[in-house]
Amino acid sequence: MNRLTQEERRQREAIVADDAQFEALLDAAFRVPVPEKTPAKRPGGRHWPALVAVAATMVLAAGAWFGLRTVEPVHAVSPLGAEIIAHIHHEPGALAVTASTVPDAELGSVLQRGGASLAAPLGRVSYAKLCPFRGRMVAHFVVQGEQGPVTVMLLPDEESSGPAMIEEDGFKGTIVPIDGGGSMAVVGQPDEDLEVIRDRLLQAVRWKL
Amino acid sequence: MKARILNLGLRRRYEQVVGALRQDLYRYALWLSRDPQAAEDIVQESLLRAWRGFDSLEDMDKAKPWLVTIVRREFLRFKERQREETMDPVIVAEIAEEEADPRVQELRTAIFGLEETYREPLALQVLMGHSTDEIAGIMGLNQGAVLTRLHRAREKLKQAFVEDGVTAQVEAG
Repeated sequence: MNRLTQEERRQREAIVADDAQFEALLDAAFRVPVPEKTPAKRPGGRHWPALVAVAATMVLAAGAWFGLRTVEPVHAVSPLGAEIIAHIHHEPGALAVTASTVPDAELGSVLQRGGASLAAPLGRVSYAKLCPFRGRMVAHFVVQGEQGPVTVMLLPDEESSGPAMIEEDGFKGTIVPIDGGGSMAVVGQPDEDLEVIRDRLLQAVRWKL
Repeated sequence: MKARILNLGLRRRYEQVVGALRQDLYRYALWLSRDPQAAEDIVQESLLRAWRGFDSLEDMDKAKPWLVTIVRREFLRFKERQREETMDPVIVAEIAEEEADPRVQELRTAIFGLEETYREPLALQVLMGHSTDEIAGIMGLNQGAVLTRLHRAREKLKQAFVEDGVTAQVEAG
């Protein structure tokens, strides 16, 4: 089917005969718009098999626990680190020293909207909020470490092939991959023993897909 | 402390290099996969791999072909996992229609309809600005084969453009 008029066809023939004109159109055609931020996707991407999706409703903690122990020790620096620290700076109230505790129902609501739930108590949580991060809403909460507040972000869209460290602006942290997709960022003071907190979190947090 | 400073310098260089190329790497991944979500996944994974190997990149002038090769390998891994290649005509139409000029829209649709053997070298040349020699190196071809593919790719697009055969080609492709 040809829906071009004779005149349009003549114009197009002139364009393809003129390399400069045709190349300009070709260049414009290749420059497709680029999403500003990572579009929301489920852990593992859109091709996630249905059975795996069902299995992901099972306890995350066990899988993540064993997965964590079979990968190499933390050595790479995460390219996500700067964005995570920038996010923490963006919400300074999150790290305010406070005696208040987020009610369980409120924490549960944040986790649920962030695609997660709790299988065990986390201890005192001083801050919990659903936050925009790289194009989707993620659960951001603060637990108490030995040296002060420890920020936790559950990142279902951020794949990581191994534990990676964050060392930025006086913060120390780690991003650990989670079996079934996604990762978790744990960030605290430089002298905080984050491994203990990280392991506690991995036992307590489950994806709820 | 020294290691931390060195690492910071390395990371700044990485962010500088990647920041300048990230959009085109996404576009390249999109033209390979013809799937925006897959392109995002491919680029994310590629950039993680690139960061892990960044300290081995000695010549920053070679950063672009190095990153392109990483994205290409990641796409090939993606393709191996994918049982059959799919192209969603609705997504193709959406991407084409984000351009106001109907001539560009049609060319964009026609490029989506090209076979991968033609689509990829054309993307490497037009989008990434690679020479035929560089494309040959990236794709593991000789220069003659690259020139032939580039010529045929343009001929197919020109034919579709003049004959308005874009829709039919995509449906068949």
